[in-house]
Formats: sequence, C-alpha cells, structure tokens
Amino acid sequence: MSLISEADQAKLRAAFGEMTSPVRLMFFTQTLDCETCLQTRQILDELPPLSDKISIEEVNLILEGDKAKQYGIDRAPAIALVGGNGHGMVDSRIRFLGTPAGYEFISLIQAVLLVGGRPAGLSPENRARLAAVNVPVTIQVFTTPT
Amino acid sequence: MAFTSPNITAYAVEATEFPDLARRYQVSGVPKTVVNDSVEILGALPQDAYVVQALSALSAPSAPSAPSATSGQPEDQPKG
Repeated sequence: MSLISEADQAKLRAAFGEMTSPVRLMFFTQTLDCETCLQTRQILDELPPLSDKISIEEVNLILEGDKAKQYGIDRAPAIALVGGNGHGMVDSRIRFLGTPAGYEFISLIQAVLLVGGRPAGLSPENRARLAAVNVPVTIQVFTTPT
Repeated sequence: MAFTSPNITAYAVEATEFPDLARRYQVSGVPKTVVNDSVEILGALPQDAYVVQALSALSAPSAPSAPSATSGQPEDQPKG
C-alpha cells in the first residue's frame, strides 16, 4: 500500500511532469543502528513510479564510505540530490539528513522540482549576491517533522 | 542557494533524529539556520534578508559568536 494518497500522487505526478531534466536521489543508508533508514527508503520508493525522471541510487554508508565522503555525508539516513545538466549528472549540493516525512517531505519535493529544472525563484539581486560567493559555504537548516 | 552557487552546500537536518547535531548547534526552535558554524538565523525571513544574513558568514569569525549585544536600532537620526 502506498504511503501517499491517490489524490496526492496525482498532484505529484502533475508537478513532476513539468521536470525538464532527470534527478537522482542518492540514498545513504546503513544496515545497523539506523532506525529510520527503512522508512526513508519506503518514502523514496514512492517517487520513481510517479516520474520517469526520478531515480534512486542506494549507497551504503559503511561499505561505500568513499562515496559518502565525496558527498559530505557521515550519517544515515541521508539524501543527496544529483541532477542532469545535459552532459551528465551533477551534484546539486542539496542534502537531507533524516527521514523526509511531514514538512521535510514537502521540502524534498521542492528540491526535486528545483533540480529537475524549475526556476529557483531567487531575485536578480540575490542571484548576484550568490554569484559573488567564492569560498566554500555550508548552510545547515534544522527542522522538525511537524 | 546551493543550487545557484557552486560554492554553497546546503543540508536540511531533521533535528529530532540527530540530537547530537541539535545539541552542538543549540537548536531550541525550528527552523534554525547555521552558516559555516558562525552565523545563525532563527525562524523564517524574507528572501533578501535571509540571503544577506546567510552570506554575512563570509565576513564573520569562524568561531561561534556570542549573541550580538546590540539589540535595538541605532538612534543616530541626523534630524530634519
């Protein structure tokens, strides 16, 4: 049984239908000591059936530690969004740590749509501010499911 | 922001699942944004204010800074 109602599935399918490029959800997981990894995988598994542009790649945090490190992931469950740019798949540098349930699910969908080609919605002024960033910046946004 | 700037990486962190991170960054309310471990933004802000505050981390010291002592508006109105 699906975790997403049929009505919401229809909405998501319509939103994903606007995507112009593919999005891969890199799912970082581990077998032990991860209470929410299974639930996260179940949530992610709901998405590819709704769009042929969405795929999932599971990465074992322990067995594929190098890959996890490459994406700056040191805990599970975690998701890194990778998007196609016409030449190949490129890291979006957007990450989710923890189960994407509740509001986090909505944030994840927004991120998928952004990486999938939806305009970012940033003003020209803010685009200019961001274009001037020439050193590494890490932004962490803490949220709760409710 | 991360999607727009190749130098920015963004993490959405589920605070209740990672209490160690929530403790380290003293998260007592959400949303809370931490930029380069040096700038904190509490709550939601309009886009301009959010981007400007987040990028103020680039000129801030790298150690976690104490809350600013200046709480009010500077009252140096030049007169009319």
